[in-house]
Amino acid sequence: MSLLELEGVDAYYGESHILRAVSLSVEEGEICALLGRNGAGKTTTLRSIAGAKPPAVRDGRITFDGTEVTGRAAEDVSMGGISLVPEERRIFADLTVAENLHLADVARNRSNTFGRSIRIGRDGMTTEEVFEFFPRLEERDSQKAGTLSGGEQQMLAIGRALKQTTELMMLDEPYEGLAPQIIEAVEHAIERISDAGTTLLLVEQNAVAAINIADRCYVIDQGEIVFEGSAEELREDDETRERYLGV
Amino acid sequence: MSLVSEAARILLNGLQTGAIYVLLAIGLSIILGTLKFVNFAHGALYLIGLYAGLLISQETTFSGGQLAEFGFGTIGLDWGFLAALLIVPALVFVLGIAMERFVARPFYDRPDTDQILLTFGLAIVAQQVVRVLFSGSSQNFAQPSWAAGPLQLPLIGGFPQWRLWVIGITAVLVLIVYALIEFTDFGLTVRAGTQDTEMVQLLGIDISRPYVVVFGIGAALAGVAGVVGGPLNVVNPTVGTDILVPAFITVVIGGLGSIRGAVLGGLILGITESFLIQWSLVIPSLGIDYGFAPWSQVGIYAIAAVILLVRPQGLLGSEVDVS
Repeated sequence: MSLLELEGVDAYYGESHILRAVSLSVEEGEICALLGRNGAGKTTTLRSIAGAKPPAVRDGRITFDGTEVTGRAAEDVSMGGISLVPEERRIFADLTVAENLHLADVARNRSNTFGRSIRIGRDGMTTEEVFEFFPRLEERDSQKAGTLSGGEQQMLAIGRALKQTTELMMLDEPYEGLAPQIIEAVEHAIERISDAGTTLLLVEQNAVAAINIADRCYVIDQGEIVFEGSAEELREDDETRERYLGV
Repeated sequence: MSLVSEAARILLNGLQTGAIYVLLAIGLSIILGTLKFVNFAHGALYLIGLYAGLLISQETTFSGGQLAEFGFGTIGLDWGFLAALLIVPALVFVLGIAMERFVARPFYDRPDTDQILLTFGLAIVAQQVVRVLFSGSSQNFAQPSWAAGPLQLPLIGGFPQWRLWVIGITAVLVLIVYALIEFTDFGLTVRAGTQDTEMVQLLGIDISRPYVVVFGIGAALAGVAGVVGGPLNVVNPTVGTDILVPAFITVVIGGLGSIRGAVLGGLILGITESFLIQWSLVIPSLGIDYGFAPWSQVGIYAIAAVILLVRPQGLLGSEVDVS
């Protein structure tokens, strides 16, 4: 059984039909990449899985670890073990680095969990473990997150997700706006997260970088999955790459 | 009276007037900042706090209204002012929570204009219900016996004790709320939610829980304002809508969602108002002796206009777009 499974998902932003019968699956322990052009439906797919609204999922099923999560509230999906490192990172700029990370602890407070019908996923990292993972964050822990560099903000967004009860981490354009040597550092971090046993679903416009680290790839175009296969298969499939990814 | 003592008196009166605005503005501001909910019924919570305080604290004879017609013209628990000061915030806190759940929550995703129509309508309903029950005439809310009369202060001389209490009570409450927002997990969630509600939810936090508490706290502060301000201001059914405008101005000039902004805004308005009420231009050689009291309301709008021209986001507001 796949860890995450989407079957025929139709998602809408208002009346515009964005995802058309999207089916995909992510296997436990792998790095899965969802590739496509700007506006192809990559972010909408991740938001549908995460339970963020909009989009509205009007048809189809999303199953995580054997439980249907279609249409559940974002906070419930998150506690169940799916974390999202969103596009543009969305760190809390006015809070310190430590406070940003501490919010994941707050999520496990009893005041947040009591009375909710949620299955809480496995424990995430502690702040100390995150600091071991990204020593740069420890140096900056009392600094306002908004003052960090782009790369450090990306580390913080990933660190925040590592602290959640994560079994599946979804990363939306983690390389966006980063300098080449920082991209390498983030790539390295993603591989270490994967090695530590977290399943990853990676969305990228930068197809070359994503194919490099992915085990399996999906290509989405105009809301439909147009390719499914291993990273090697996509590397060798010139037609798909040129037609849908422009590389 | 010397210039210094006059200035000190104006300042103290300004702090007291401002304190009431601060109590109202903090609730308005954090509700607007976190829940993006425009609550024109905030003044109704002040009104309800005021009348609840009146009825708990003393016995009052209402000359008109439905209650008087049914033979309940003289009512009140007569438990004393302290009882009112303790019970009313709890009562209005609960009312605030009910209001969040049943009035505000269904309207979070609706445009501001819908929220304004809804809450303004609610404010009018509250006002009219009070009028029907207790008549529109003004009542006398007695000062607490333990704080009646003047206190001799250096420089100033005799100053009404209760006004000093209002300043003190407000300061304590502001500090408590500030500490709650700055130093607790609850406050951290609220501050994060002010910046990006959805991201907080994506971290697994059910943000409706801290938000309902925010609403309750804001309501309770408005209720307290009604009680502590009761003995100093008029008591009649229109006070809720009357005080809403300066309260909103306080929020706007202080900066949305900022507690420190609400305090600063309230003090600026209070001191401006008290200055204009008490100051007269006296030039004996020209035979000029003109009091500015009639201009006090004009003054607070003028100062708000000037501040907003210079800093549209308010004095301590960030430039984050809250729409």
